[in-house]
Amino acid sequence: MTAVLPLATLASSLLTAAVIFMLPEQALRTRTALNLAAALVKLVLVIWMAWGLIAGEVYAVEFAVVEGLSFVLRVDALGLTFAGLSSLLWLFTTIYAIGYLEDSPNRRRFFGFFSLCVASTLGISLAGNLFTLLIFYELLTLSTYPLVAHRGTPQALAAATVYLRYTLSAGLLLMIGMVALQVLAGDLRFGQQEILAELGPAAHPWLIGLFWLLILGFGVKAALVPLHGWLPRAMVAPAPVSALLHAVAVVKAGAFGIVRLVYDVYGIGFSAALGVLEGLVVIACITILYGSLRALAQQELKPRLAYSTVSQVAYIVLGIGLFGPLGTIAALAHLLHQGLMKVTLFFCAGNYAEELGIHRIDELDGVGRRMPLSSLAFTIGALGMIGLPPVVGFISKWMLGMGAVQAGKPWVIAVLVASTLLNAAYFLPILNRLWFRRGPAHGVGAWPAERAPSRLETSAWLLLPALATALLSLLAGMLAGLPFSPLQWATRVVQQTYLMP
Amino acid sequence: MSLSPMAPAAAWVLAGLLLLLAGVCLLQRHLWRACQGFVAFALLMSLAWLLLGAPWLALAEALLGALLTGGLLLWTLRGRGALPRLPTLDRTARRGRLAAPLRWLLILTWLGLIATALVGLLGLEALAPPASVTTLLAATGVLIMGLGLWAFSTQRHLLRRLLAFNLLGSGVFLVLAGLAGPGAEIRGLILIGLVVALLGSVLGAALLLRLHARAGQVTLNPVFGT
Amino acid sequence: MSPTPLHLLWLLFAPLALGLLAWVRPPRHSGWVLLAALPLPLVALWLLLGVETGPMAGRLALGPLTLHWRLDGLAASLWLLTQLLLLASALYAASYAHATPLRTRGYAWLWPLLGGLALGLGLIWIAADLLLLYAGLELMGLCAVGMMLLPGSVEALTAGLRYLLFALVGSLTWLLGIALLLGAWGRLDLAGLAAVAQPDPVTQIAVALLASGLLLKGAIFPLHSWLAPVHDSAWTPISAIHGALVVKASFFILLLLWRALLPEAIAGAWALGLLGSLAVLWGGVQAWRAVGLKQLVAWSTVGQLGYLMLAFPLLAGTSAAVALMAWQATWLQLAGHALAKAAMFMAAGNLLLSTGAHRLEGLTGTSRRLPLSLMTFGFAAVTLMGLPPSAGFTAKWLWLQASLASGQWLWVLVLALGSLLSAIYVFRVLRCSFVEDAPEPAFRPLPLGMELIALVLALAAIGLGLAAAWPLSFLAPAGVP
Repeated sequence: MTAVLPLATLASSLLTAAVIFMLPEQALRTRTALNLAAALVKLVLVIWMAWGLIAGEVYAVEFAVVEGLSFVLRVDALGLTFAGLSSLLWLFTTIYAIGYLEDSPNRRRFFGFFSLCVASTLGISLAGNLFTLLIFYELLTLSTYPLVAHRGTPQALAAATVYLRYTLSAGLLLMIGMVALQVLAGDLRFGQQEILAELGPAAHPWLIGLFWLLILGFGVKAALVPLHGWLPRAMVAPAPVSALLHAVAVVKAGAFGIVRLVYDVYGIGFSAALGVLEGLVVIACITILYGSLRALAQQELKPRLAYSTVSQVAYIVLGIGLFGPLGTIAALAHLLHQGLMKVTLFFCAGNYAEELGIHRIDELDGVGRRMPLSSLAFTIGALGMIGLPPVVGFISKWMLGMGAVQAGKPWVIAVLVASTLLNAAYFLPILNRLWFRRGPAHGVGAWPAERAPSRLETSAWLLLPALATALLSLLAGMLAGLPFSPLQWATRVVQQTYLMP
Repeated sequence: MSLSPMAPAAAWVLAGLLLLLAGVCLLQRHLWRACQGFVAFALLMSLAWLLLGAPWLALAEALLGALLTGGLLLWTLRGRGALPRLPTLDRTARRGRLAAPLRWLLILTWLGLIATALVGLLGLEALAPPASVTTLLAATGVLIMGLGLWAFSTQRHLLRRLLAFNLLGSGVFLVLAGLAGPGAEIRGLILIGLVVALLGSVLGAALLLRLHARAGQVTLNPVFGT
Repeated sequence: MSPTPLHLLWLLFAPLALGLLAWVRPPRHSGWVLLAALPLPLVALWLLLGVETGPMAGRLALGPLTLHWRLDGLAASLWLLTQLLLLASALYAASYAHATPLRTRGYAWLWPLLGGLALGLGLIWIAADLLLLYAGLELMGLCAVGMMLLPGSVEALTAGLRYLLFALVGSLTWLLGIALLLGAWGRLDLAGLAAVAQPDPVTQIAVALLASGLLLKGAIFPLHSWLAPVHDSAWTPISAIHGALVVKASFFILLLLWRALLPEAIAGAWALGLLGSLAVLWGGVQAWRAVGLKQLVAWSTVGQLGYLMLAFPLLAGTSAAVALMAWQATWLQLAGHALAKAAMFMAAGNLLLSTGAHRLEGLTGTSRRLPLSLMTFGFAAVTLMGLPPSAGFTAKWLWLQASLASGQWLWVLVLALGSLLSAIYVFRVLRCSFVEDAPEPAFRPLPLGMELIALVLALAAIGLGLAAAWPLSFLAPAGVP
C-alpha cells in the first residue's frame, strides 16, 4: 500500500495525458469529463496521503536506475504542501481552461501537455532525492513549452524560445551541480542533511560554490532577479497557462526547489553555518523591490501581474533566508498564499480579456459595473497582495516581519514596508479604475471587443473558479487559526521536520 | 625461404615492372589502356605470390584481380550493357592546388608511419640492398601505396579512383605478406581483401555507369562532369 | 536447454536466408515480415539470458585458419538491440513501400542487403579476432553502401559513391593496421594480442591506422563528411538502421581494440576524446544550420557519436569507479541513441512523406495533422538532448559524474555545450510545427504502422533511462573487462 498512493497520484495525471493525446480532437465531452475526474481523483489522493502521513504512514517508492543512482518518491509534509497546493489549484485551473479555450483549435494538444505539466509538478513535490527532482523539473520545462507556444503567433513562439533558453540552461546548471554533490556525498536523499555537514571544512568552499550554482539553477524558474527575464515575456500565453506558470507550477517549482535545497539537502543550520543565507536574503530583497518597481511601470494588466509575481515569489526566498522557525513558516505559508491570490488575479485578468477584450489597464474604467463578481474577486486578490487583513497576504507579511526580527535583521522590515507601499501603488489605481471611474458600462465609449452578453457576467466556467479561489484566499486568512489552514499546516511542517524536534 | 639464387634478380625485375604498370594505370589518359595496364599488373601480382610461395593466393589473384576486377573495368568501358558506355579518354582536370599541401601531408604521414613501422619490425639491415624477396616486395608495396594514394586523392575520374583503390589494395597486400610471410591468417586476410576489392569495384563501376547514364558525369562533382 | 554455438550460427545466417527469400518474393505486408522475423530477437534475447552466467567462447577451424569468437553479455545485448532494430526497420520498410512508390527492383534488393547487414553486425559483435572482425566490417560496409544506393536518384548515387570510396579506403587502412599487428606479434586473436602486445611504436602506429580506418567508417569527426549527404537521399528505414547501428559498430570495434591493445595510452585516449568533443560541437552547429530535416537528423548523429568518444579518456588510467561509470554510460548512450535515432529518422521520414516537404519550414501545421509522428520526434529528441527521463539523460549523468570524479573538467563543458546545441536544433524543428498562420500543405495519410513503430522505439529509448539497471547488469558482472 505504501508505494501505491504516490504512484497512483502521479499516474492520475500521466495516464490522463496519455489518454487525452490519443482521443480525437472532437471528443470534447470525454476530454472534459476526463480532465475533471483526474483533477478530483488527484485531490482526493493527495488529501488521503496527508491524512495517512499525519497518522504516521510512510509512503515511498524506490528503485535503482543504475548502481548508486536511485529514483526515489517519498511523501513528506513539505512535499505534500506543494502537492496539495498544485492539485487544488489544478482543479480550478482545469475548470477555467475548459471555459477559456472553448471553440479554440488544438485543444487536445493543450490539455495533454496541461496534464503532463501537473504530473511533473506532483513529481517535483514527491521526489525524494535531487536526481528524481531533476527528472520532473526538466519534464516540467518540456511540458510547459508547448503551452507557452500554444497560440503559434510569432510573439508566442519567441516567448517560448526565450523561456526555453532560460530554463534549459538552468536545468543544465542544476544537473552539473547535483552530479557534483553526488560526487562529494554519494546518493543523497532528502532529509540526510547531516551527510553534507559531516564532510569537514575542506569541502566547505566546494559546498558553497555548489549551493550558489544550484540556486542559480532553481532561481531561473523562481524568477529571481536577474534571472526573471522569461516570465514577463511568457505573458503572451493563454490565461490558464499564465495561472499555471505563476501560481501552480513553474515559479513555485523553482521556489520549492530552493526550499528543498536549503532545508533537506544542506540543512538550515548548516546553510547558516556556511553563511549562504545572508546572500539569499539580499537577493530576495533586491528581487522584491525590483519586481515591484517594474510592475509599477507596466501599462498592461498581465505584465503588471507578472512583475508582481517576480516580487511576491521572492517573499518565499526571503522567508527561507531568515534563519529561524518563523521565517520558515512564513516561507511555506506564502508558497500557498501567493498561489491562491495570484491564480485569482490571473483568472480575472483572463475574464476581462475574454469578455471585454481588455488588455490595458487604462481600458478598465468602470468594469466593476459590467463584471461585478470578477471585479470583486480581483479586488480580494489585489488587497491580499498588498497585505491588507483579513486576506491571507497579510499573514505572510506579518510572519515575515516577525521572522526578520527573530533572525536579527530588522532592516528587512523596511524592505517589506517599501514593498507594501509599492504594491499599493500599482494595485490601488487598478481598483480605482474598476470601481470608481466612469466607463463604457456608464455609457462612455465602448469596450475593445465585447462578447455576446450571457446570463451571468461571463461564462460560468470562467467565473466560478475565480470566485472560488478568491473566497479561499479570504477564508485562509480569516480562519488562519483552524487546524488545516495553510498557516497551521506550515507550522506543523516546521515543527515536525525541522527546527523543533 | 628456399629460393633459387636467380630469384632476387627476378624479384627486382618484377618490382620494377609492377611500379611501371602502376604508373601506367594511374597516369595514362587513355582509360582503356590504363585498364589493360591493370590487368597486366594483377597478373604480375599473381606471379609475385607464386614467387613468395603462395600458389593458392596466386590463383586467387589471377582469378579475382586480373580476370574479374580487370575484366569488369574493361567491360565498364566497352561492354554491351543497356547503359551508355563511358568515354575512354579521361579529360577531367586534377584537383585544385588549394588543398594540395593537406593532401601531401596526409600521404607523407601515411607513408612515414608505414616506413617507421617497417623499419621497427624488420630492422634497417633487412632493407639494405641484398634484401630478401619478401622485403623487396614489401618495399615495392609501400611505393605502390604511395602512387595509389596520390592518384586517389588528386584524380577526379571515378574509374581512375577505382583503379587507384585497387592498386592501393595490392600495395597493402604486398606489405602484409612482406611483414608476416604467407601464413594461413595472411592468406585469409588477403583473400577477404581481394573479395572486398572486387565487390567494391563492381559496386563502384555499376554506380559510375548509372551516374553517367543519368547525369552524364564521371566524377563526384557535377561541375567537372563529362 | 542452454545456447550452443549452433544457435549462434543459426542467428547469424537466418536473417540472410530470410533476406534472400524476400528477394525472390518481396513482402507486400508487414504482417508477413513480423511473422517471419519475430523469432530472431527472441532467440537473441534467449542467448542474452543464456550468457548471464558466463560468456561463451570458442574457435572455428577452417583448414589451417582458426577463427575465434566470444559471446559475452555486452555482445549479446548489442546483438539483441541489432535484431530489434532490424525488425523495426523491416516492418517499417514494408509499410513504407505501401505509402510511397518505390522502385520495384530496389525494394527487392533491400531485403538481402538487410540480411547481409544483420550477418555483418552479428559477426562484429561476436568476433574475437581481427580476421573475423575484418570480414564482418567489410560485409556490413558493403551492404550499407548498397542500401544507400537503392533510391537510384543522382544525389543518392553521388552520395553513395562518395561513401563507397571512403569505406574502401577505410578498409585498406584497417587492413594495413592488422598487417602491422600480425607482423609484430604474430597473431590475430584479441585475447592473445592483449596478452602479448606491448605499447611500442609499432603497436601504436598499428592502432592509429586501425583507428583512422574506423573513424572513416564510423563518420567520426573529422572524417564525417560523407554522412549527411548519404542520409539526405536514402530511404527512411535505411537511414534509420544506418544511423542507429552501422556507425556504432565502428565505434564498438575501436573501443574493443583500444582496451585490448593500448589500455594505458592516455595521450591517445585524450586525442580521441578531443576529436569527440569537436564532433559534438561541429555536429551540433551543422545541425543547427541544416536546411532539410533529414540533414539535421544526420548531423545530429555526428554530434552524438562524439559523446561516445569521451569513453576513451574516461576509461584510460582512471580509477575503477570512474571507469565503471564511463563504461556504463557509453553503452547506455549507444543503446539509447540507437533507439532514438532510428525513431527520429522514421518520424522525420513520416513528416516529410506526409507533408511532401523537404525543408523545416514545410512542417507547419504538423502538430495538428500528424501529432503522433511529431510526438515521436519529440520523444526521440528528449533522448538526444539528454533530458530526463531517457537513456541519454542517465548516460549524461554518469558521464558528468565520471568527469567530475576523475577531475577531467573539460568534458563537463563539452557535455553542457553539446546538450544546449542539441536543444537548439531540436527546437528549431518543434517550433516550426507550432506555427499556425502559415498555409497548410496537403497532408497525405500514412499507415498507422509507420507511426507506431517509430513511437515504440522512441518510448523504448525513454524507458531505458529509468530501467537502465537491468540491461546494464548484463554488461560484465565484474564491471569493466
